[in-house]
Amino acid sequence: MNELQFLTWVRGPGLDIAVGIFLLGVVWRLFEIYTLGRKKDLAAPRHAAGASGLHTVFRRSIPPPGGVKRSPVSYIGGYTFHIGLAIVVFGFAPHILLVKNLTGLSWPGLPSQFVDLAAVITMAAMVVVLVDRINKPVKRFLSTFGDWFAWAVTFLPVLTGWLAVQHLLLPYTTMLALHILSVEILLIVLPFTKLFHAFTLFGSRWYNGKVNGQRGVPV
Amino acid sequence: MSLDAIPIHVVNPPSGEPGLTGNAPPLLRELSELVKRLLASGETSAIDLSALPLTPADLGWLQDKLGAGEISVTLQANGESTLNETACPGIWWVTHHNEQGAVTSQFIEVAFVPELVKAHPGDVQTGQEYLELLISDH
Amino acid sequence: MHGPLIDTLTRQGVTRRTFLKYCATLASMMALPPGAGRAMAEAMAAARRPSVIWLPFQECTGCTESITRSHSPTLEGMIFDMISLDYQETLMAAAGHQAEEALHAAMKENAGKYLLIVDGSIPLDMDGAYSCIGGRSNLEILKEAAEGAAAIVAMGSCAAFGGIPKANPNPTGAVSVSDIIKDKPIVNIPGCPPIPVVMTGVLAHYLTFGSLPELDDKGRPKAFFGETIHDRCYRRPFYDQGKFAKTFDDEGARMGWCLFELGCKGPVTYNACATVKWNGGTSWPVESGHGCLGCSEPDFWDAGGFYKALSVPADPLEISAAAAVVGAGAGVAVSFANRAKKGAAKSAHETTTLADLEK
Repeated sequence: MNELQFLTWVRGPGLDIAVGIFLLGVVWRLFEIYTLGRKKDLAAPRHAAGASGLHTVFRRSIPPPGGVKRSPVSYIGGYTFHIGLAIVVFGFAPHILLVKNLTGLSWPGLPSQFVDLAAVITMAAMVVVLVDRINKPVKRFLSTFGDWFAWAVTFLPVLTGWLAVQHLLLPYTTMLALHILSVEILLIVLPFTKLFHAFTLFGSRWYNGKVNGQRGVPV
Repeated sequence: MSLDAIPIHVVNPPSGEPGLTGNAPPLLRELSELVKRLLASGETSAIDLSALPLTPADLGWLQDKLGAGEISVTLQANGESTLNETACPGIWWVTHHNEQGAVTSQFIEVAFVPELVKAHPGDVQTGQEYLELLISDH
Repeated sequence: MHGPLIDTLTRQGVTRRTFLKYCATLASMMALPPGAGRAMAEAMAAARRPSVIWLPFQECTGCTESITRSHSPTLEGMIFDMISLDYQETLMAAAGHQAEEALHAAMKENAGKYLLIVDGSIPLDMDGAYSCIGGRSNLEILKEAAEGAAAIVAMGSCAAFGGIPKANPNPTGAVSVSDIIKDKPIVNIPGCPPIPVVMTGVLAHYLTFGSLPELDDKGRPKAFFGETIHDRCYRRPFYDQGKFAKTFDDEGARMGWCLFELGCKGPVTYNACATVKWNGGTSWPVESGHGCLGCSEPDFWDAGGFYKALSVPADPLEISAAAAVVGAGAGVAVSFANRAKKGAAKSAHETTTLADLEK
C-alpha cells in the first residue's frame, strides 16, 4: 500500500470505523451512567444563594481560592492547552470543512498563522504539564497508565497535524495520513478512558451542585 | 486578468530594500572567479538564473549593478533571444523568450563571445554551398 | 536507424541556433548545469536517431495527443517526430499486416538497442483478452517487445500505475508495466496526460547520456517529479494565511485564493505543472482556477473524489447510525444488569445486630 492509498484508507474506512466506535462508546456510557439513577433525598430542601447545579457548572471552571498558588502548573497549563486545543480544532479552516461535511454546520475560520501559534503554545503547555506530572512526587505516585496514555493520545494529533502543515519530518501525504490516524485512535479510546470527561463533566458538576444545594451549601 | 493583479502579501519581508533576499551579491563574486578563469585559460562558463532563488527585485538589482555595455545582440529563433554585453566586457546577459514572448530561461554567460552568436563550422559550410550556387547562377 | 538529427531539423527549417537555444532551456528545466545544454545539443545533433517503438495498450490515446499536439509546431513535437519512430499506431501510415511487419522488422534490426515506449495499462483478466492487437493479447506483445528493449518508458498514468482502467472495480484486471516487466530499466512518466516537455526531457537525457535520468522511489524522473505541486504553487501564500476559495467563482476564487477547500490535491501530488505549466507555459489547472486532480499519483481516481478536500472523509460514513444504536442497546442492557445487581444487593442486605458483633 503506497502513501496515497494509506491516506485514502484513513480518510475512508478508517474514519468510518473510528467514528462508529466513538459513537457506540459515547452512547453506551452515557446510557450506563445516567440510568443508574440516584436515591431520592427525602430531607426537606434548603435554599441558599448561588447553590444549585447550574451555579456549580460555571463555578467549577474558576480555580478555588489559593488553588493557582498551590498548583500553578495544573491550572495555568491545563487552561492553556484546553483553550489552545479548542482554537486549533475549531478555528482551522480544513477542520471546519470536515465538520461541515459531517454535520452541515460551518463558521468562519481563523488566520492560519494564528492557529499555527496556538498549536505550538498548546504543545508547549502539554509538555510542561507532563513534566510537572513526572517531577511532582504526589502527582507521579497517583499517575497510572491511563494518565500517560491519555496524554500521548491527545498530544499526537496536535504534533502530527502541526508537522503536516509545516511540511516537516515526513512527506506531506504520509504526515497527513498519520495525523488523521492519530485522531482516529483518539476517537476510539475517548469513550473508554478518562478523556470521556469531555462528556461527563457538566453532568458531574450539576449533580454535585444540586445535591449540595439541597442541603443549602454552594459548591 | 494578469497574474500581477492577484494581490500577494509577503508575510515576512527580508530586511533591506523590499523584495531583495540578499542572494544576488554573492553572484558578483562567482562572476569574478569565472572571468579570472576565462582570462587564464579561455574557458567559457555560464550561470543559470532560473535555477537560483532570486526574486524579480534581485534580478533587477543584478542587472542594474552589471549595467549595459556596447553590444546588444538579438537572435530570432523560435521566439526572440537577447544577448547583451554588460558594463563588464566578457559578461553577457542572455534572455530567451518563446514565441508568445514569455521568458523561458535566463543566463549570465562569461565568454569572449556568447556561444549562440558564433557561427558553427557546419552552418558556415552550408552557407558556402549556397554561395557557390549563387555564383554559378551568375 | 537514420541520419543525424541536426540534418533532419535543418530540412524542417529549424536552425542550429534554434536547436541550441531549445537545449539550453531544456537543460535549465531539468536542473542540469548550464554547460549540459551544449553537451545535450551536440549529442543530440550528432545522434543517430535511436529506434523507438511505441506500443499502445489499454489507453485513451491522450498521451499521444499530448506529445504530438502542437499549435505552432513546437520542438517537442518535432524532436519526437525526428526520433526514428518505427512503430506508432496512431501516427504511422501503415496498417494491418504491414504495420505488424514493420514492428517485427524494427525489433529484429535493433535488437537490444531500441527504446520501448508503452502507453495504456495491461489487462490480465480472461487471459488478457480484454485488449488485443492483431489477435494477440497486450500481455504477450509487451513481454515479447520488452525482451529486446534497451529501456522501457511507461508513458502516462495508465502504463506507470494502472490509471483509469485500474480504478475501482478494475473490471479488466488492469496492471502497470512495472507489475509485469521486472528485468529491464523502466522510467515511469505519469500524468493524465503527462506534460509534453517531461517526455522529451527524458528522451533528450537518454540521447545525450545514454542512460535514464535519476528516478524517485516510484520510478519517476526526479527532475520533473521531485517536488509537489503545493511546494511550487504560486497560491501558497494564501494557503499559509488560511485564505481559501469556498466555491468556484466566489470572491476568494476571483482573488486567486488557495483551492484547498475545492478539493485541490496539490499537497499530495508530485509533478512539474506548477513550474513548467501546460501548452508551452500558458497556464495550468490551479492558475485557471481548478484544483489539482493529483493525476500523476498512483490510484488517484480512487483517492476520495476530486472535489473533496484532503481534510474531508473520502467516503460517506456508513456505520455511524448502526453503531450508535448498538451502543444504546449495550448501554440499556448494562443498565438492566446494574439495576438487577442493585436490587439483588438490596434484598440480600442483612441487618447487623449486637449479637452478630459479639460473635
